[in-house]
Formats: sequence, structure tokens, C-alpha cells
Amino acid sequence: MLIIGERINGMFKDIGVAIREHDPKPLQEWAAKQKAGGAHYLDVNTGPNSEDQTVDLPWMVSVLKECTDLPLAIDTTNYDAMEKALEVYGKPGALINSIGCEQEKIDRVFPMAAKYQADVVCLCINKVGIPKSADDRVAMAMEFVANAEAYGLQPDNLFIDPIILPVNVAQEHGVEALETIRQIKMISNPPPKTTVGLSNISQKSPHRSIINRTFAVMAMTAGLDSAICDANDEALVDAIATARLILNQDIYCDSYAKVFRQR
Amino acid sequence: MALTGLDIFKQLPKTNCKECGSPTCLAFAMAMANGKASLDMCPHASEAAKEFLGAATAPPVKTVKVGVGEQEVVMGDETVLFRHDKTFYHPTALAIQISDTLSGAELDAKIEKINGLVMDRVGQQVAIQMVAVTNCSKDAAKFKAAVEAVAAKAKFALLLAGDLAALEAAVPAVAAKKPLIHAATAENWEKVVALAKANNCPVVVKGNGLDDTAALVEKVAKEYKELVLDFGNTAQAKTLAEMVNARRLAIKKKFRPFGYPMLACTLATDAKEEVVEAATYVAKYASIICMKADEKHHLLPLMAWRMNVYTDPQKPMAVEGKVYEIGDVTPDCPVYVCTNFALTYFAVEGEVVGSKIPGYIVAVDTDGSSVLTGWASGKFVAEPIYEFVKNSGVMDKVNHNSIVIPGYVAIISGKLKEISSYNVIVGPQEAVGIPAFAKANYPQLMK
Repeated sequence: MLIIGERINGMFKDIGVAIREHDPKPLQEWAAKQKAGGAHYLDVNTGPNSEDQTVDLPWMVSVLKECTDLPLAIDTTNYDAMEKALEVYGKPGALINSIGCEQEKIDRVFPMAAKYQADVVCLCINKVGIPKSADDRVAMAMEFVANAEAYGLQPDNLFIDPIILPVNVAQEHGVEALETIRQIKMISNPPPKTTVGLSNISQKSPHRSIINRTFAVMAMTAGLDSAICDANDEALVDAIATARLILNQDIYCDSYAKVFRQR
Repeated sequence: MALTGLDIFKQLPKTNCKECGSPTCLAFAMAMANGKASLDMCPHASEAAKEFLGAATAPPVKTVKVGVGEQEVVMGDETVLFRHDKTFYHPTALAIQISDTLSGAELDAKIEKINGLVMDRVGQQVAIQMVAVTNCSKDAAKFKAAVEAVAAKAKFALLLAGDLAALEAAVPAVAAKKPLIHAATAENWEKVVALAKANNCPVVVKGNGLDDTAALVEKVAKEYKELVLDFGNTAQAKTLAEMVNARRLAIKKKFRPFGYPMLACTLATDAKEEVVEAATYVAKYASIICMKADEKHHLLPLMAWRMNVYTDPQKPMAVEGKVYEIGDVTPDCPVYVCTNFALTYFAVEGEVVGSKIPGYIVAVDTDGSSVLTGWASGKFVAEPIYEFVKNSGVMDKVNHNSIVIPGYVAIISGKLKEISSYNVIVGPQEAVGIPAFAKANYPQLMK
């Protein structure tokens, strides 16, 4: 289970200010802090207040590239900014975050992923909106996989996101997302990877941490490979480390939670 | 691994005609992967698609049998790349070579020697399984005579290695023994496979490396499917890589041409090196190893290794439930009681040896469970322990009435005393405490 640390995002006030002033310090601090928490990737997002993403996003990537060895999840729907950021990143293993299930987006981004040897987060959502049933989500996942082959990507270069919605207003979606994750693992061999924007499940609820970690454990059982989440939520990281043990993905030792954070 | 949606989708006509009841071919493929639909619902599916999807449900490695009756060797039907994932099922068969240049008394002596390659190890019989008669003379008549002589006397299944003429001479004469024929090659495969088919014998397909062998098997498998693979062993490291890749492709990718048992011939000329080479093939997926070494002292370690590799990791390793004598025992020596779980027994044995004080260890048969597991399941409690110790006769060998039980089951000592009238001594909780315990209680027995 890969933890994609969500904190370097212009939506947060300190990062927003740092981007406006091009001050690398908060980015560096959060990179180190999230790594210590247990992050395996760092999500990088300018947030909505960026004057020009094609400038700000490559700047963020260049700062982070210098100060951390963790791979970056470059988080934008502005694909010109994405391309510039990947160019600045300049090494394989980045994560493109994200595209929806629309042919023009696939045609725009998959060649980029192949060129820069990046993986792609693919959302099960299209112009029509978010599908209700697992079957409709899986059909989109299949579209992504079939397209990946055509562009010379492997199925496991894709991180398919079934889309989870807040449990307080869209309760019936959670179970469909779990079923989608289960079925995505049957699409191909090797199967695509899966991811979720974990914090969505608890939007505007008063019990965010417990909702997040409970869903994380359930989704891991269904086959979840990664989540964009708060890498410094200790209870969440503990729960993920424990679920990995019980799923026989890590060899047990008494200090497993500590070991998980060191890898 | 069951078929994936993508595997199925690639076989579909991609018409999106909806006649199957699904909105798209993609959706239908997923429904099939989930077992909610079957291919006969698609009116446009090709014959090739039907054949592919049928083959995909077959086991990844075909079962192939050589020999008949007591001598039968079963190969293949393996499902994992690592034994800890499940287990390996059919132990590698060792085939010892006999050249057809031998005849008369020399040949008889060699057969006699090979028949003697049967040994006992930890209460089980281990043996070779096959004799490989090789056509070194290049003379078909000689080969036929040698094969007939071996078939009449050898206790094992046969592997016949020769050119087409030699095989055509020898195979019909011993077909009833269902020998393995070596080998169908790119040059002669039509005739060799026809011979195998006519005589109902399995046949080795020998290519030159992975690609070449796969291409040859594709051709042969259309005619006959009782096959064993030989990648034309040219170097040990290369053979290892070929066998690993072939088994991976068979299991992980359902690659049909490699879905058969594999044969490897050793190249090393020195017997010790040959055994090391063979050990590699035992660990890495060979179903048959054809080798020259025929001395017991060379083959025993290889057989022990094979036995270990093919042990089921999910069953606890147990030693024979009985009395073990450690060191030069005398009637004054202590009697230790533990279970027959291998890890338990060897921990206790190691410490008793380390204590320098000879003793008896009674390994109570607890079906291989440890002390606390056996105690919790009622296999290592007062009555069964008493029964076992009494029947083992160990108390007739000593001049005292004391037995030492593990400290962790101190709770059973009262009842055990009561029913057995032994003097039950509660020993240390951990076996590592045995040396100190022994020195404190039996100083006079120090060696």
C-alpha cells in the first residue's frame, strides 16, 4: 500500500503563500515531514489560486526534486503545466494525477506518460459524471486498460481511482467503490493498480480520521494499492501497516509499524 | 490465475452488437471474467476464441506419466513458483544413464548397481526412479538389445535416448513398459512423435533454447500432447534460466507450449559437481534429471535435498515419536519428555547434547505439534504422555522413577504424577535452560 502524501497543495494556506512568493522552505519541510510519516509519493498541486500553473508547477517540482528522493505525483488537469513539470522532473517514475475517462484526455496524456515513463492516475468519471454502479466504473477502467496497450503502457502503469464520495451525502457509493477495486484486479494480468482520494470519504464529517482509516482498511482488503491521504495521520498509517500484515503483504515483526514507515 | 477481462476481450469480435445482453464487448468480457456470462452467449465468437478460452481453464502444467504399475513416475501438475506459496507436488525423478556400449556381464553389473540405489532416510525409502538407456554405440541393433536387457532386469521406469533408427528398433519391443522417448527434434519430430503415438509413450521435445523449443512444441502439440520439454542443455546457468522462465510463463501467463514437465541433463563430468548441478535443477522445476553419477554416496545428499524441497510446508515437520538416546546413556540418566514437532525436538536435543550430561529424550507423538500447541489441543497432557512413556519402555532402561517435563506445562505435573506414580520433575520453560538444570540436578553424570 503506497501512501501518496497530500499536504503539498496550494489549498493549504502555508503552501499557497509559499507558491505566491516562490519560497521553497515550506515545501521542503512538508516533504521531509511526510516522508517521516510514511509517505511513498508526494502529491504536488498548485491549488486554485496559482496565477500560472505552467510556471508554478514546474517550480514546485524543481524544488522538491532537489530536496527529496520520493517520487512525485504531479497533480493538475492543466496538461501543458503537466508536461512542463514532467520535463523539469526529468526522471522516470513520476505519477500523473489525473485524467478522466474521456478519449481526448487519454490521447493527450498517455503518450506523455510513455515518453516520460510516468504512471497515470485514471479516474472512473466522464463528462456524464460519476457512475453509480461498480459495473459502470469497471467499464471505464477497462477503457483505460485497453487504451494503455495501444499507447505502449503496461496495465500496471495505471492507478485507477473508482472515485469515492463523502459518506455523509453519498453513502451508497462506498460499497460500489469497494466492488470496483475488487473487479479491477480481474481486468488484466498484471492487473492495473488502484488508488483513491481517501480524504474525500470523510468530507464535512466530524470523525474524519476514523472514517478515513476504516475505509482504507476495507479498500486494502478489496485490493487497493495506494491512496492520496494525510501521511501524518498516525492512526491512519498504523492502520495501513496493520492491514498489510494481516493481508500477508509484509512479514510480521513486533516493530512492524515503525518498519513500515521506514520503507 | 483465472482469465482476466482483457484476455477475454482480445478474443471477442469487438462488434458491440449487444446480442449477448451486455452493452459492449468490454462489458461482456468483464462479465465473463466474473463468471456471470459464458462465451456461448456471443453469437459472433470465433472458433479460435472458443479454443483459447477452453485451453485457459486447463491446469498450467500438464500431468505426464512414464512407466507402469509400481514403476510409474508422475510428472507435472505443478501450480507455484515457490514452495512456500503452496507446495511442490511431484518430486523430481532421477534417471541414471546406461550406455548401450555395455553388454553381457558389464551391463548386468551396471543394472545391478542401479537397482541397488535405494536407501532409507529418516524412516522413509528414497530411490532413483528411472534408467536412461543411451544410444552411444550409434547402432540400432545394439541399442535394442541393451534396452531389452535393461527392461527385463531394471526395477525402474525407462528413458530411451537415441536417434530415429535406434528408437524405431527399440521402442515397440518395450512399449508395454511405457518408456519415455528422447527426443523429438526439429529434424525428426514427425516420425518420432508418430512412433510415440503408435506405442502410447510420452515423448521429449528437444529444442535449442526457449524460442526454438516453443516453436517446436506448437507444431508437435497439434499431433500429440504427452510431452516433456528439453531446452537442449548447453550450460548450467542457461538451463536454469530457461527452466525458470518456462515455468513462469506456464503458470503466470498460461503459455501453453511450456505447460509440460521439463527434463534436464547434467553436463558436469566430475560426480561431485554433477550432484551440485542436479541439486540446482531439483530446486528449480525439473521433473526429470538425467545423470551419470551412480554411487550411493553421491546420490544420497541429492535425494535428501529432493525430499526436503518437495516436503509440504503446510504440514508441521515431525520426528518419529520414540525414545532417543543422547550420549553414552546409563541407568542413572535423566529422562526428558517433549513433543515430536521437529523444532521442539531438535531444540531439546541440542541443549541435552550441550549439557554434556547424557540423557533419554521421549518425543511424544503429538502429530508434530509443539509443546504448548499440543497441550492446548489435548495431545500433550497427562494421559497421552503417560501412555506414551509407559509404552516406550524407557523406564525399564533406567534405575529411577523420574521424568522431566517442559516448564511451560507445569500445570499437568500433578495429574501426571497421580496417574503414573512417576516422580514428575518440572524442568525449565525454555530448552536453553536444560544445561543449567542438568548440572544442578545430575552433577555426578558430567562427562
